[in-house]
This record gives sequence, structure tokens and C-alpha cells, in this order.
Amino acid sequence: MNDVALKSGTQDIVFDEVFPHAPETIWRTLTTGELIGRWLLMSPTGFEPVEGKRFTFQTTPAGAWDGIIDCQVLEVMPNERLAYAWEGGHEGNVGYGSRLDTVVTWTLSRVENGTRLRLVHSGFVLPKNDAAFKNMSDGWKQVVRKLDTIAAEQDSAKPLH
Amino acid sequence: MTEAATISAVMRALADPTRRAVYERVVGSDEITVVELTRGSGVTQGAISQHLKLLKQAGLVAERPEGRNVYYRAEPKGLAPLVDWMSHYGVFWRDRFANLRTLLKEIDP
Repeated sequence: MNDVALKSGTQDIVFDEVFPHAPETIWRTLTTGELIGRWLLMSPTGFEPVEGKRFTFQTTPAGAWDGIIDCQVLEVMPNERLAYAWEGGHEGNVGYGSRLDTVVTWTLSRVENGTRLRLVHSGFVLPKNDAAFKNMSDGWKQVVRKLDTIAAEQDSAKPLH
Repeated sequence: MTEAATISAVMRALADPTRRAVYERVVGSDEITVVELTRGSGVTQGAISQHLKLLKQAGLVAERPEGRNVYYRAEPKGLAPLVDWMSHYGVFWRDRFANLRTLLKEIDP
């Protein structure tokens, strides 16, 4: 089975932006516990940028899930690439708090005016128990894209506090 | 309706290719009438109405009657039972990117 077949049932979130800072500076914000806490708004417990290292984040619990996100560093290439497993949730939940078995990958590349930072959060599993649902493929992707647009518009329509 | 029942209703509603096509057209427009949905669909107006009824029951579309017409629009929360983790992290990471930009400005002006 190839990669495409393995991943055919999952969706990725991708963000890609250029920051006017050197890769080394951005790398520091991604790999220093105290700095991670300041932008991610959750402080990691046990994080070190060392392959194989396990760490956790505490977030909002749901149902039988205690809200702990279990992570493990998968790849470290200083100033270039950082990947960690991001797992949590519980089989008994649906929606927020359902089982989550994903990977977060940061890629940094030097560009003329700074650094291009790309985040790929991969492995979101679509509902897979209904055989008919498997056939949605492209139609589903289109729907998800549209939904994201709607959500973004709704967010921006909210009054400022 | 329990959450599990909601999910299966949504999945049932979207499993039918014609109904899914109707839903995608509703999603793709701000508001749309049965007549507009029927045009070029190759399906009768009665069939479109039936599909809309099921989509409405599943919480995927909402309707707004005005005069002789009924306008349909996508219910943004309709797919929430299916995509919550994804939509959660879609918003989560967008906000965190903004925080990161602010923090970088502070530590490396």
C-alpha cells in the first residue's frame, strides 16, 4: 500500500506565511517551552527538541477525555523542520474530544525578506464507519473547504470586544 | 436527538450523490430557490424538494420563505458534528499564527 492510499481517508490543515525574522529566531519560538506557552497559549510539559522525547499539553477536557494532548517529537532539523505527534481524545466522544491521532509539522525556509513558515497538521480522520460515506471523496473536500470559508466569515463578522 | 443520531442523519443525508450535489449548490450560493436548484439539475422539482426536506431535517440547510418563494441557505453549524476537530484546529492555528507574529515582533523588533 502506498502513502496516498494510506492517507486517503484523512485531511490536513495547512498554514503558510512569511515572517520578517530569521529562521533561527522563529526556531527558538517553536522549541523553547516558555516561548511556546506565550504564542500557543498552552505550556508544554516535558518538551525538548530531541527526537523521541514525549511531552504533553493540557487543554479543555471532554467526556471521558481528560484534555491531555500526548505528543512525541518525531523529527528535529534545527532551523528547518520540527515534527511531533499530536494525540488525544476518546473513542466515546464525537466532534470536539473525539479520538485524535495527528502529526504537526513545522517547516522553515529562508526567503528574501525573512522566513517562510509552513504548518501542516495532518491526519484528521473523516467518519469512516459508513460505507456510503467513503464515496464522498472530492465532494466532501469541497464541502469542508466551503465550510471553512463560512466559519472564517462568521468569525470576522463577530463584533470586537 | 443524541449526538450519534445527529451524525448518522448528516451522513445519511450526504451519502446520496444527488442530494450531496444539491447541498453543495446550496453551500455555493448565499441563498437559492428550488426553481434555481432544479434548473440544469436533470431532476424534477419535486425530487429537489424532497432532497431539501431531508437536508433540512439533518440540520444542513435552513429556509426563509419570502412571498411565493422559499430561499435555502447552508446552515453553517450543520457539519459541525463531523468536522469539529478540524474546524477547531483551523481556527486554533490561525489564531496561534497571529500570536506568533506578535511575539516575534516583541523579541526581535
